[in-house]
Amino acid sequence: MKKIIALLLALTLCLGLAACAAGTAPTEPQDPGNTNPTATEPAAQSVTLSVVTSYGGDDGNRKNFEAAVAAYEASTGNKVNDGSATSNEEWKAKVLTDFEVGSEPDVLFFFINADAEPIISANKVVSIEEIREVYPDYASNMKESMLPVAADGKHYAVPSSGFWENMFVNKTVLEACGVAIPGPDYTWDQFLADCQTIKDNGYTPIACSLFEVPHYWFEFTLLNNGSLANHLELPTLDEDGNLVDDAVSQKWIAALEDIKSLYEAGFFPENTLTATDAETVSMFGEGEAAFLIDGSWKCGYFSENHADNLEDYTICCVPGKGDRPATDAIGGISMGYFISRKAWEDPAKQAAAVEFVKQLTSDEVMSTFVTTEVTALKNGAAPADLNAIQQAAADCNANVTGVVGAVQDTISAEAKGDLFGNVQKVVTGQMTAAEAVASAMKLN
Amino acid sequence: MSSMIYKKKSPLLFFLVPAFLFLVVYLYYPFLQNIINTFLDIGGLGRAAEGVNDPWYANYRNLFQDPDLGTAIKNTVLLTIFTVVFQVGIALILALLVDSIRVGGKVFRTVYFFPIVISATALGLMFNLMFLYKGGMVNQLLLNMGVLESEVMGNGRQIVQWLDWKDENHFLFTMFLPVIWQYVGFYFVIIITGLNNIPGDLLEAAALDGASGLKKVRYITLPMLRNVLCTCLVLAITGALKVFDLPWVMFGAGMPQNQGWLTGTYMYDQTFNKMNVDYGSTIAVLIVVLGVVLSNVANRLFKPTEDY
Repeated sequence: MKKIIALLLALTLCLGLAACAAGTAPTEPQDPGNTNPTATEPAAQSVTLSVVTSYGGDDGNRKNFEAAVAAYEASTGNKVNDGSATSNEEWKAKVLTDFEVGSEPDVLFFFINADAEPIISANKVVSIEEIREVYPDYASNMKESMLPVAADGKHYAVPSSGFWENMFVNKTVLEACGVAIPGPDYTWDQFLADCQTIKDNGYTPIACSLFEVPHYWFEFTLLNNGSLANHLELPTLDEDGNLVDDAVSQKWIAALEDIKSLYEAGFFPENTLTATDAETVSMFGEGEAAFLIDGSWKCGYFSENHADNLEDYTICCVPGKGDRPATDAIGGISMGYFISRKAWEDPAKQAAAVEFVKQLTSDEVMSTFVTTEVTALKNGAAPADLNAIQQAAADCNANVTGVVGAVQDTISAEAKGDLFGNVQKVVTGQMTAAEAVASAMKLN
Repeated sequence: MSSMIYKKKSPLLFFLVPAFLFLVVYLYYPFLQNIINTFLDIGGLGRAAEGVNDPWYANYRNLFQDPDLGTAIKNTVLLTIFTVVFQVGIALILALLVDSIRVGGKVFRTVYFFPIVISATALGLMFNLMFLYKGGMVNQLLLNMGVLESEVMGNGRQIVQWLDWKDENHFLFTMFLPVIWQYVGFYFVIIITGLNNIPGDLLEAAALDGASGLKKVRYITLPMLRNVLCTCLVLAITGALKVFDLPWVMFGAGMPQNQGWLTGTYMYDQTFNKMNVDYGSTIAVLIVVLGVVLSNVANRLFKPTEDY
């Protein structure tokens, strides 16, 4: 009896191992000689695409994305495994890690700046030029001049809607404090005076988590200490690794010092060093704080979460200092759709992935995503029925005199993490601004 | 006949070898590779090394120069001490109390064990809401009790001096409380199982000799529980060194102001967020070394005995 049991157990073990081995085998045999599948080999049956985007969580375009995915599934019969999440540094790191360990998605909606260089240089995504050899009309509705160029000179991402960063204003707070709504000629001194008035009335002037998102304020304090022309210049280190004391480094130091001044004046929330971005945005939304610098994506957040009182908010220019007019803004196109090399070389998925990107970047679908942002569409987007906050953004953007990209997009993830992590130390005096800049540049 | 299967060793080997191979492939090989990685320059998970560090021991030198790692080790050691004292201590007291009641013991066992089966992420979010700065449960309770000050401004607006439970004065309490609370039930179950194994006649004899409840605990229960408590302490110490999920959900990357690191959260941040894989590997080696050393010390201090 024992021998029979032992035999059965051994058999079970063998079957288990065999099942594991079978699980790792490729599900669809491929012709090893066929390294360049063509469009003449469409997917014969429905396939499941894994897609990762930043349209997760409370993203304002989440519903638009879901609708576009549903339309794609209905028109093609394919399925989409949506792995979308909220975009932050952790998400970026996770996406890059997935690519590095071979578990990348078939289609990725990701940043098109330096953040994407690791997957481009590792040949993990396919260039638009290569895709067009098989699908000539791929991304044909986009302006060629606005396709993002990678370090190797090729184009990889089909640009989606762009972004702008500006100052959201809670009008009810300003009214309660007797402060006028800022205009396009808003100056830094006026802003400081208004902040003091707001604080004296028991409200928080600036909703910002210096723990999580100090970069919004850094971009503008940096722009305030420089200009559109030199905004993207980076400080340098000498041979000994010390910060070169020049105009660029002085500008970066001054930007951090400006944030420190705001902190010391008590204009940020009392718990700005421990609050999350969600907490401070909620604070602004609920009429506890007056100003919030954020991006175009926040319009969707307010439309979704404060639909009943959208008239309470407006969007203004960030106050200007020195030579910078308040109407100079941060913006551009920062994200786009990539097709992974793995999906491209899979005959079953290639056409499905291409079709997915084509549908998600079509003029019709893009018009549901774009309200007031920059777009690379040749025909432009045709957003309809702007709500109050979107109209406010459009009105504010009408005054914009110049736009420049975010400088944080030009430095490495490690340097960025270090710089913005050290903002807390700078404002509390544990580290000087110069030390913080030097520390970040050593990692860049 | 029944002992034949044990005399013939080959079937045993047949079942042991796969498990051994599994451990070699998925534990010992990665661990050895991790040690090798500490000497290399690796800028991302899965990315090839860009050569050997200069000097090759640079990461080990950094361990002694990195103030944030010092903070992480200090916090982890503190957490270990608090875990041993409060987690095992509270579990012991609860087990003694539950063991002494005649009815309802099973209900208490379930209630105290329940937090273990809830995911740490859910617990973290729950405690985040409890300790929320504005309008969190704890702060509202303190406000209603009059502990927090509030003032009404000229414009009729009430300003409350909310307590920031995550600032530098309170973060240790806010971080340690959920971690300790979550695993009290685990040790409670172990200890109460140990209590059930104490022969009832010993306690009856003590009662006949006139021993009071506390004396029975002091002279019979605790000595009889010694080996169980030793196991609990070793588990608590090694467990505290690996704590990651709950503090990460509640405090993220080093909140407040890089004072809230634990060795686990710091290793994760360096590896997955900062992409400093080789340094993260070095911290992992440090965690293993700390675990081995502290558990050995604990084993020696609380050496199980054969006396009982």
